[in-house]
Amino acid sequence: MPERPPQLAERLLRWLVGGRDADAVAGDLREAYDERGGGTLWYWRQAVSCAAVRRSPHRRMLPGLGQDFHYALRILRRNPGYAFTAMVCLALAMGVNTALFSFLDSLYFRRLPLPESDRLFQVIRQNTPLCSWREYLDFRDHLRSFQAAASVSAGTYVDIDRQTVNLGFEVVSANYARVLRLGTTLGRWFVPEEDSPASEPAVVISHHLWTTRFHADSSVPGKQIRIHDVTYRIVGVAPAGFVGDRPPIAQDLWFTEATLEPGFGGRDPAGPRVSLIARLAPGATFENAAAEVSVIDAALRASDPKDPRAFDPAVVEPASGFLWVSGRRYMKPVAMLMSVVCGMVLLIACVNVANLLLSRAAVRGREIAVRQSLGASRFRLFRQAFIEGLVLAAGGVALGVLAGCWIGRLLESVLPTFTATAYAGLRFELDWRVALFVCAAGAASAVLFSLPGALKSGRRDLGLALKESDARQRPRQREWYSLAQVALSLTLLIATSLLLRALAREQSIDPGVATDHRLYVNLWASPEFFRPEESERLFTSLLQQARELPGVRDATLASSIIGSEVTKACASSSPEGKSQNLLSSVVEPNFFEMLRVPIVRGRAFGPSGALGEPPGVIVNETMARTWWPGEDPLGKPLWMGCQPASKKLGTVIGVARDGKYQDLDEAARPFLYLSRRQDSGTGFFELIVQTEGDPDQWSKALLAVAQSGGPKLHIFETRSLDDALAFQLRELRWRAGLAAGLGLLAVVLAAIGLYGVVAYTVSQRTREIGMRMALGATAGDVQWLVLGRGLRITAAGIGAGLLLSAVAMRWLRSYLYGLSPFDPVAFAAASLAWMAIAMLASWQPARRATRVDPLTALKYE
Amino acid sequence: MPASYLGEFEQVVLLAVLRLGDDAYGVPIRKEIEKRAGRHVTVGALYATLDRLESKGLIHSWFADPTPQRGGRSKRYFKLQPKGVQALSELRDMFNRMWQGVRLKGESDA
Repeated sequence: MPERPPQLAERLLRWLVGGRDADAVAGDLREAYDERGGGTLWYWRQAVSCAAVRRSPHRRMLPGLGQDFHYALRILRRNPGYAFTAMVCLALAMGVNTALFSFLDSLYFRRLPLPESDRLFQVIRQNTPLCSWREYLDFRDHLRSFQAAASVSAGTYVDIDRQTVNLGFEVVSANYARVLRLGTTLGRWFVPEEDSPASEPAVVISHHLWTTRFHADSSVPGKQIRIHDVTYRIVGVAPAGFVGDRPPIAQDLWFTEATLEPGFGGRDPAGPRVSLIARLAPGATFENAAAEVSVIDAALRASDPKDPRAFDPAVVEPASGFLWVSGRRYMKPVAMLMSVVCGMVLLIACVNVANLLLSRAAVRGREIAVRQSLGASRFRLFRQAFIEGLVLAAGGVALGVLAGCWIGRLLESVLPTFTATAYAGLRFELDWRVALFVCAAGAASAVLFSLPGALKSGRRDLGLALKESDARQRPRQREWYSLAQVALSLTLLIATSLLLRALAREQSIDPGVATDHRLYVNLWASPEFFRPEESERLFTSLLQQARELPGVRDATLASSIIGSEVTKACASSSPEGKSQNLLSSVVEPNFFEMLRVPIVRGRAFGPSGALGEPPGVIVNETMARTWWPGEDPLGKPLWMGCQPASKKLGTVIGVARDGKYQDLDEAARPFLYLSRRQDSGTGFFELIVQTEGDPDQWSKALLAVAQSGGPKLHIFETRSLDDALAFQLRELRWRAGLAAGLGLLAVVLAAIGLYGVVAYTVSQRTREIGMRMALGATAGDVQWLVLGRGLRITAAGIGAGLLLSAVAMRWLRSYLYGLSPFDPVAFAAASLAWMAIAMLASWQPARRATRVDPLTALKYE
Repeated sequence: MPASYLGEFEQVVLLAVLRLGDDAYGVPIRKEIEKRAGRHVTVGALYATLDRLESKGLIHSWFADPTPQRGGRSKRYFKLQPKGVQALSELRDMFNRMWQGVRLKGESDA
């Protein structure tokens, strides 16, 4: 007979029952075991039966949970300042993270707004088009596991009511709406017969186009629009919210391949290059579809061994997020940057709240000690702290969702200026995924920031806590938190100042032309309809009309202008020499005067000249310097033309000051000007006017002048030169704005944290300060004592932040347009700014410290 | 009507605690139930029920100081609360009322 019950069973019993109860139960069993004289099996059965005790809902975790919640709420209600600060910190951080997740969601996860969109997928290649239209037709009717519609998107200028607008369109197969299960707002989608060239050209327009260009007119189906000289009949309006199958690129028009005119790939007998958007057949799986696609793809690639598709297999991708491969690639670094920054902001906010909780825990040290000595278990105290964090997080989540909606709306309103209409599909609206994310982030942050306080409350030395007033506990941990906050937010501040410096640098770049009070309209007289002489006459007449507009000082023509189109050209300095690529502009002789481009040597173009005569050429300083180093460029011959057969001889007659021709941040590059009198150009011109007042007021009048050129003259955008330059900076501006917003948020959060630490120190050292003052310390001494603490933490934080930035800023290099990522001005400015903020954050508590009355302070206990 | 529903086993346990008076801890309670109700009870089932009764406020428990017997482990004693006494008496009254004038086959009137 064994003397003792089986030890393993006893251990199981202790684990199952837990706590002091385990002792009593083990005692009972031991007694019964001894009485019945052993029985290992019996003991085991009894031990296992204790699982019933463990499962009992009346034990363990739950009792008192409601009480804990009640208590947490009461604490928060009694300390509204503390609760409010914590919740707002969290809400701000969660707000930006909500906006970020909305962005990531539309980038990677959001499905098309179509029925059963989880069964939709696309078939694409990474770098090359999937297949030609003819190839698609060959396999379309033999597909078994899915139905596929072909589509290809492009942008074009479309004439609507005599105005040319830039729209995205999609060429699709007639089964497009059937595969996607698309409805319409008005009219219909395509019928199968519309895949045949014999059908009348039909087009479906987007809801957006319908409301903006057709004023939501219900009689739109049946109307005609002209797309590149083909007249289409509008047959339907797509449902609201559907922007095509390639988000975030928003499409405004859909028409079938059969009506595609030559020039959009229609000249190729194989038809345009398309990709597939497909829907799984009932019962089929993605694996079936992928297998079928690989069989089709093998056949496609076997047809021609030199085909670039041989190295680029077709892939099946679920239709979610950006269905535009290069868009996703382009957005990836932006998404990464945003994720890191938003994560940092969330971390700072969590540290802030942890700090607040810690200071609460310190203030409540005695209370906790009393509760513990009265028998509260460590688990119970831990749970109490955890629940308090949870309640704070709930408040933070609620406010954060509101903040997130607001930030998302703000971003959406900012976005159109940063990306063209192409990104209209990018959404920041909240949906259930985002809401889920926010709740998860809230719960995670509750765990994160309640842990330090909770652990501390579990580890307290009872005797010490009960006896002392906590004054001698140096809040080391809190200082570390504050230091980390300063370091993290300084990193963001440095990133912001780098981006702002890059922006300021770009903005201060001289484009080399006068841009104020100047407005242009882009025109194209296509050589298909205009012979060179006709084009010359047309533009001369338009120029004359523009000059006669009231309030217009002067007008000129140029085929290239920064911020708009740039004409490429080839030239060589000897008849046999290899032609070099460069940029050029065909200009009206008054161009240099009107746009204030100084001629530094030689002369400007004269008012006379004839098409076909050997042209005079004006080169820029860079070209003069690099093509004829050490020589006088004037009078030098220049052979122009990209093909040896069509080379034309010209003579350099002048040198113009260097400018920027394509991008503001470009390096100095060779450029040449030709006179419109001697060269008709490609039929593409900007008609530029100099106005007396705000140039935008003349845009209607200028458009009217352009429209007088007849229906065959294409009219593109009308814009002021200032706007065109500002548009060049849109991405940099957007990034800098985003970084500045987040950086500011981080700094505010960290300043709150620092303020909290210093203020707490003052409240804990009241007695010491009072004693110092009683012994003769001046107000200044006390202020320095307190300020010094804040500044010491800040200085250490700045040191850490500078190190962190030195490592992290390298990733920003590609966004800085040539500015060094270690730009000392940005680093110094951010550090000094933080120092100033730290002074401010410590100032208030320091002042409060000087108001301590020594007598009261000494009695304080 | 009893304030809260009591299961049959809960009644048995309550009565055992009541019968044992000051000596009601795990081992005697189990013995009492075995002796009088003829039921073998596992220690797990017993403690789960005791916990439930305590959470309903019908009994209350405390730990006695450890004794050298049982390997130096303390005993957990149970005692009926007024609410528990009331619940038992209400149950008894209810059964009495229900039995009044009822006769099972083969039994004679009391």
